[in-house]
Amino acid sequence: MEMAHFPILSAILMSTILGLVTILFIPDDRPKLVKQVSLGFAGVGLILALWAYFSYDVQKGGLQFVERYLWVKSLGIYWFNALDGINAPMLLLTSVVLFTGVLTMWELELRVKEFFAFMFLLVAGVYGVFIAMDLFWIFVWYDVSLFPMYPLIAIWGGTRKEYGGMKLTLYLLAGSALILPAILYLWVQGGSTTFDLFELAKMGFSPQVQRTAFLMLYLGFGILAGVWPLHTWSPVGHVAAPTAVSMIHAGVLMKLGAYGILRLGMTLCPEGLQYWSQLMALLATIGIVYGAFVGLAQTDLKYVIGYSSVSHMGIVGLGLSTMTVNGINGAVFQMFAHGVMTALLFSAVGYIYDRTHTKMIPELGGLSKTMPVASAFFIIAAFAGIGVPFMASFWAELLVFISAVKTYPVRGILAVMGLVVSALFMLRVVQKTFYGEKNERWEHIPDVPLYLATPRIILVGVILFFGMFPKVMLDVIQSTVIPFVASLTA
Amino acid sequence: MMKWVLFVPELFYTLMALVFFGASLSKKVDPRRLYVWALALAGMGLLVSVLFARQEGMLFFDAYRVDLFSQVFKVLLALGTFWVIFSCSELKGINERQHAEFYFLMAVCTLAMMMLVSAVELLTIYVAIELSSYSLYLLVSMRQRADEYVETGIKYFMIGVTASAFMIFGISLLFGMVKSTYVIDVVRVLPTVIAQPAAVVGLVLALSGFFFKQALFPFHIWAPDVYQGAANQVTTYIGTASKMAAAAMVIRFVGFSGGESGVLIKLLVALSILSMTFGNLVAIIQKDLKRLLAYSSIAHAGYMMIGILSMSQRGFASAIYYALAYLVMTYACFMVIMRIAEDGRNLQIKELAGLHKRSPLLAMTLMLGLFGLAGIPPTVGFTGKFLVFAAALEKGYLALVIIGMINATISLYYYLIVIKAAYLLEPVHPYPAVYVDSWTRYLSIILVLAMVYLGVFPDQFVALTEAAARSLP
Repeated sequence: MEMAHFPILSAILMSTILGLVTILFIPDDRPKLVKQVSLGFAGVGLILALWAYFSYDVQKGGLQFVERYLWVKSLGIYWFNALDGINAPMLLLTSVVLFTGVLTMWELELRVKEFFAFMFLLVAGVYGVFIAMDLFWIFVWYDVSLFPMYPLIAIWGGTRKEYGGMKLTLYLLAGSALILPAILYLWVQGGSTTFDLFELAKMGFSPQVQRTAFLMLYLGFGILAGVWPLHTWSPVGHVAAPTAVSMIHAGVLMKLGAYGILRLGMTLCPEGLQYWSQLMALLATIGIVYGAFVGLAQTDLKYVIGYSSVSHMGIVGLGLSTMTVNGINGAVFQMFAHGVMTALLFSAVGYIYDRTHTKMIPELGGLSKTMPVASAFFIIAAFAGIGVPFMASFWAELLVFISAVKTYPVRGILAVMGLVVSALFMLRVVQKTFYGEKNERWEHIPDVPLYLATPRIILVGVILFFGMFPKVMLDVIQSTVIPFVASLTA
Repeated sequence: MMKWVLFVPELFYTLMALVFFGASLSKKVDPRRLYVWALALAGMGLLVSVLFARQEGMLFFDAYRVDLFSQVFKVLLALGTFWVIFSCSELKGINERQHAEFYFLMAVCTLAMMMLVSAVELLTIYVAIELSSYSLYLLVSMRQRADEYVETGIKYFMIGVTASAFMIFGISLLFGMVKSTYVIDVVRVLPTVIAQPAAVVGLVLALSGFFFKQALFPFHIWAPDVYQGAANQVTTYIGTASKMAAAAMVIRFVGFSGGESGVLIKLLVALSILSMTFGNLVAIIQKDLKRLLAYSSIAHAGYMMIGILSMSQRGFASAIYYALAYLVMTYACFMVIMRIAEDGRNLQIKELAGLHKRSPLLAMTLMLGLFGLAGIPPTVGFTGKFLVFAAALEKGYLALVIIGMINATISLYYYLIVIKAAYLLEPVHPYPAVYVDSWTRYLSIILVLAMVYLGVFPDQFVALTEAAARSLP
């Protein structure tokens, strides 16, 4: 585990931290410069993440680009970062969403410097969670990614922003009130000598310990992953948040929850997983069906997306709970696909809202005639959400459902039916908002200018690329998931 | 006598007290001049404490122990005193004629606390704690418009003397059991008699004196009124330096019992839970920022107790680290309060409105300080909580740790309210811009960097606190 290579993972993390520090030193009266600097650092992150992703050696598999130093000696904390098939797609996702998110906020005028500073802090936390392989650091970065949400929503948000921001922050930090004790509990059970994830995984904790710890980790991370019934912060928070924050939040941050369950809960407590998998599958199925039905009744575009996220994150949970190669492959792929798709949905709604100042479906209508390009982005994303072939999420959902129906027949079939309902409600939204009767009020509104279309085009490109070449992603994911599932059943 | 080298920091503060005692006798003293003197002397005091941090030995017929533990706390005390005096340049809360007395009492109080952290004989401890308490009673009552705040001084005094009456009674019980006032004898004999109720009662009563200083539930009732009623600088001093001394004593004293008594530990667990929960819940409804910090300090005494009641070296080390973290974070918050309320008034939370525009640096310092108190990484407050909880879990207190974490979430609510005021609320009527002189700016930057640095790179400080915990008797 020597450091013969460029520390690319730390470099990705540093791209946000350096960006943050640089932004803080820009004078207040240069908002344009702030945006350019932000875009620059987000771009560096994107290039590095692409580089890391495509130079990950699928044949070799395992941990690559390992960086490991002792950090706090007396507790056994390591600065331990590594890349494998599970976090490589997540890093790519984060960098794409950050880059497009910065572009989406190009028209921001209110307290620009602070906005981008908080946003970079948030993303630093997200990158940190994804690259870290030491429990201490995973927790640190996890919390770092949560608390900037409060100012971001409360200052720049929309509908019921203070309530939404406070609810979201407290819910998510209540989750970490379970995660930290669980981490420390496992550390103590492992002889209180190391926080290294893989060394702890080798210890083989007793079944009782695993059950307790897994439940705590599952509930703690489950709040962030939007597991029913702990999801109630999510639609409210999404609706309140400004566009780029919704994008990062629904697109990336919710994935942290699922990632935490997979990386910490399932790796450290395989027997705990066996014990609780029935519950996981049940809650995930309820989430899928519930999210779809509640989404059906919404009239606010952002609430629709919020509930569809609950539904789609349920698919991730269902995939994880099957403990099969296909299921976990699909879950990880779905995390990526849903991230890009939700980011596109929120950014499409963001543009409509910025121009019309409403996101109520009945007030809109016939938008495809006045702004065809803006509408196209939403419709493409909606199709991706439904799981239309040649969209990235098609493959993900397919994999999850194949293995779910095999492992949990009843719940699997219910979940598939939930998906049909969610297709129904997405189509209904598309029909009402973009087709149907034209609302005269929005006639004069110009379509998306090129500089604002760019981020959305990138997202559409990503969805289609991985929809047509799923192998590019599945090979990477598989290289880690196959040995992982083998170790689960061993 | 080479031995006097051990006593140099204390001697220095005695000298400092004498200087200001002399100054208080003179009729005409320029407050500006006094401030410069006080600052210079406090700075030298800090330097002296650091220079003599590596001394070890016994003094005064073994009643006074100089070890790494005591010296670390002396440095923290000197640092707290220096910071408080540093922010006295606008000492508006106190009558100009009393400034010399103010500095005199500060020096005496610091001296007393330094003696407190080194004392290992029960009567010496008692004398030191009384000396520091009486200085504080006077300091609290010194605020201008004393008629408005006179209740504060009296309340503090009454509760304080009651606590010390409990304490001396507890000490007499201990003496009855052990037949010695030397802590070393108490340590030796107490485990053999700890099963007897008198020993537990004696120990708990003796501890109540420290709990009073630490504002642990149910010895906290003075804290909100005193925080609110005392001049801002005095509140800062009570909230930072005085808390350090109390924490040091509780660590040393609880450590004596050797962790043999289940009753004692159960009692401490109960006090810790009550303290955290009560402090956090009541803080939610506060409107006055100093009162809010008072309740939060009650909660923090509870968190620190989690580390102490773990009764392990790692537990004591974590409590020391927590004390250090608490000093830095609390001072950062109070510094912002003192800066904004330059005329020495009490600060309401809503008066923070628009602070991010009036002074972005102070707003950021306040935000980091509060996030630190809430235990959010990557600040020092998180690392402190992490160490404390890790120590507790090593002893298997899983439920206690979960309660602690839930409390941390509750506390985040009211810290967020303050942050919301500073970053989100627009002032109803325009408040004047906050004047930040360049020294305050440097200090803010240093505090911000210190909070993050100690949070992210704790290695050497953890090693230091562990060494200090090892030097405990």
